[in-house]
Amino acid sequence: MEPVMSKAITRRTFMNGAATAAAAAALAPQLGCARFLRSKPAAAVETREVATACEVCPNKCAVMAVVEGGRIRKLNPNPASPKSRGMLCARGNAAVKAVYDPDRVKQPLIRAGARGEGKWRTATWDEAWDFAAKHLTEIKEKHGPEAVIWSSTEGFQEEFFKNLGLAYGSPNILRHPTLCLASVNLAYSMTFGTVPSFDLLNADYVIMSGANRFESIITPDTMDLIDSTMNRKARLVYLDPRFTVTASKADEWYPIRPGTDMAFILAMLNVIIGEERYDKEFVASACHGFEELRAHVQRFTPEWAAGETEIPAANIRRIAHEFADAAPRALYYAGRRSSWYSNDFQMRRAQAILNAIVGNWDREGGVVPNSKIALGEYLYLPWDEPTAARIDEMEERFPLAAKGDGVFLQARENVLAGKPYPVKGWMVYKQDPMSALPDRGRTQKMLEQMDFVAVIDTQMSDTAWFADVVFPESTYLERTDPLHMLPGIWPVVAIRQQVVPPIHDTKPNLEIVQGLAKRLELSDYFDYTIEQWLEEQAKELPIPNALEHLKRTGVYTAPGAPFYGSTRKPDHRFLTRSGKIELFSERLAEAGHDPLPAYTPPVQPPPGAFRLILGRKATHTHANSTNNVWLAEFAPSNDLWLNPLAADRLGVASGDLVEVRSDVGVVRLKARVTEEIRPDCVFMLHGFGKKSRTMRLAYDNGACDADVLVTAMDAVSGNAAFHETFVRVAKVGEAAGA
Amino acid sequence: MRRMTVLGAAVTALTLTVGVAMAAGASENKGKFYFKKTCKTCHTKGAAGGEVTPLTKTQEQWTRYFTKGVHKKGAEKLTDVVPAEQLPEIQLFLVNHAADSPQPETCG
Repeated sequence: MEPVMSKAITRRTFMNGAATAAAAAALAPQLGCARFLRSKPAAAVETREVATACEVCPNKCAVMAVVEGGRIRKLNPNPASPKSRGMLCARGNAAVKAVYDPDRVKQPLIRAGARGEGKWRTATWDEAWDFAAKHLTEIKEKHGPEAVIWSSTEGFQEEFFKNLGLAYGSPNILRHPTLCLASVNLAYSMTFGTVPSFDLLNADYVIMSGANRFESIITPDTMDLIDSTMNRKARLVYLDPRFTVTASKADEWYPIRPGTDMAFILAMLNVIIGEERYDKEFVASACHGFEELRAHVQRFTPEWAAGETEIPAANIRRIAHEFADAAPRALYYAGRRSSWYSNDFQMRRAQAILNAIVGNWDREGGVVPNSKIALGEYLYLPWDEPTAARIDEMEERFPLAAKGDGVFLQARENVLAGKPYPVKGWMVYKQDPMSALPDRGRTQKMLEQMDFVAVIDTQMSDTAWFADVVFPESTYLERTDPLHMLPGIWPVVAIRQQVVPPIHDTKPNLEIVQGLAKRLELSDYFDYTIEQWLEEQAKELPIPNALEHLKRTGVYTAPGAPFYGSTRKPDHRFLTRSGKIELFSERLAEAGHDPLPAYTPPVQPPPGAFRLILGRKATHTHANSTNNVWLAEFAPSNDLWLNPLAADRLGVASGDLVEVRSDVGVVRLKARVTEEIRPDCVFMLHGFGKKSRTMRLAYDNGACDADVLVTAMDAVSGNAAFHETFVRVAKVGEAAGA
Repeated sequence: MRRMTVLGAAVTALTLTVGVAMAAGASENKGKFYFKKTCKTCHTKGAAGGEVTPLTKTQEQWTRYFTKGVHKKGAEKLTDVVPAEQLPEIQLFLVNHAADSPQPETCG
């Protein structure tokens, strides 16, 4: 069979060639946004609307897809969902292009050249399944089932993939949270026994540590915050080394010294407790360990914190007063941002404790436990529990971290060290570790030392580029997924149903898993259809014909207005060891960690170096969407933000090509000289600099942060710490026209 | 149909070999399956037995409950309503996800 995609296309040749007839023909289906919307459908075609749920980011907004003549014409918001209301963001709209992207993986592919060389041959599904099953069986026979890692990111069909890994016998299920919000989830769970929501719609006073909500992800709760700050004049205090869009809309912005947010929070605790401004009744009835906390924060005065954070002591004291006065409609907002420093868990614990003592728990405008809607469950046959220990040694190193998620960076380091046992296979679903993990060189080494790598994805990600076999999954608009309950202040059940049949030779993940399970003699554990699964789930919903209702309207929501206060009743037991909100945690102490948030000053960059900080744009989802032609119109590439003081010292002007070098790698990208960042930091957007030549818009476009990020982890949760990298910057080229 | 047949055969097989399974360590995964298959028949919201989830008790309370082995106050034994072989697996699941456990779970 003729190898496909074997011809290397560099970014330069692609960009140059885009003007040529050949490249124009290759990209003909890649219409820009304006051109697509101007295009007219053929007259008198059948038009229908299908309710479904977006998959482009984790928010799962409800969508009404408009189909004309069998082709998706447009995606509209579905106002029936309280989760998304009448909103669908740029990314959600651009999902149409993911279906009709000419760069998609259109049929199963088996590697035909060296790993990463980009030579592939097309295969039938049977061939691809047989190929994978043969390798998985060989590894199991030679090294045991624990020698295969099964890694994935969140999604409605993720469960099927995880279950295949477990049924195969591997304990090494690796999910995405330790590359995301594991530190937040663990800190709030260990304090409140659950991960709550933040009632931005009704808050009067909001403090954010770098969660750049007006710019990095635009969802309805972003709009709630905008509404709160712009219309209701709620106060927003924002801490970030960078002047972001959120900073521009805040009442107060502090370019805090990186890694010192916990000092700011501890000083707020010092003021609020020292001046008796906390909610005494709530603390006495619902909190555990207040006296230990009181003693702990006595030394963290605003004057001390001013030296750490560079925020004036008088401002810290005033903010503490205002926060306590505004409570319970005051909250210290936790999400959405990943872990930045190796003390992130303890910083989040300090946030949670501050929220707790002002009594904003389960109050309108405060921190609210999520409501849920019970779904039924398809009862599948249970398999034997994997017997081997996990490769990431969670039990010893991170005993409090979520057992089902694993610790990704620790797993990679142990695989590379070959301890405690060899890992020779890597199954990947809907995830791109090559872009998501710090230090891409080591992730590539991990891939290269595998005997077998398989990827299930809709596109040829950088990880797929280094795989042996790629199983093309149908995009979310081409498949039906399990129902999904989205907990929250307004919980909702969402359905994702097929809008159009697959336009290429692709399959939903469940069918891919079932094809593999059959060849691994594990079919009995996967003996159901997606429809049977949905029927079991819908049975528990308290309305007649629930599944039909969902298919027609797209969502089910509990009737009535949001309810606050159910967990403030005197007999309520919090899901913690003490049954109360744990300001002091014995469980942390037993695991060898500080039972109260302890502060260690962050290591500062050496002279002449900068701290590299990262961020997101609302027009891209992590590293998954930079090949989407519509979204590329909004954010075509990334550059390096550099303060003018540093730029002058280095002789760098905006548009110059600079080299960014860390202890683990080097990248080149254009400079943006701006006062919107501290002089001791540089910044780049995540998600660019792809290695996969198949992703023609994203390949070699800008720089990949993972090339220079060093491996650092939060000590308690194992979350990757993304702002612990120091870099040096040097000019290597003039700006065009300089 | 095929699913139910396989399920039945598997449950029987597991019941017969559970002693060995326990010797090698009880399975939380199977405990969850048995809990749903056996206990949730009566212990759902609105049903005769009232809703029971792992969160209904603390780890210590669940341990005490299984040690005592009584299903209802002063009445039938647990083994009268749940096959004895399933009990260690169910106990493991409930204790590991109890209200005060590190990983509390609602489970239906």
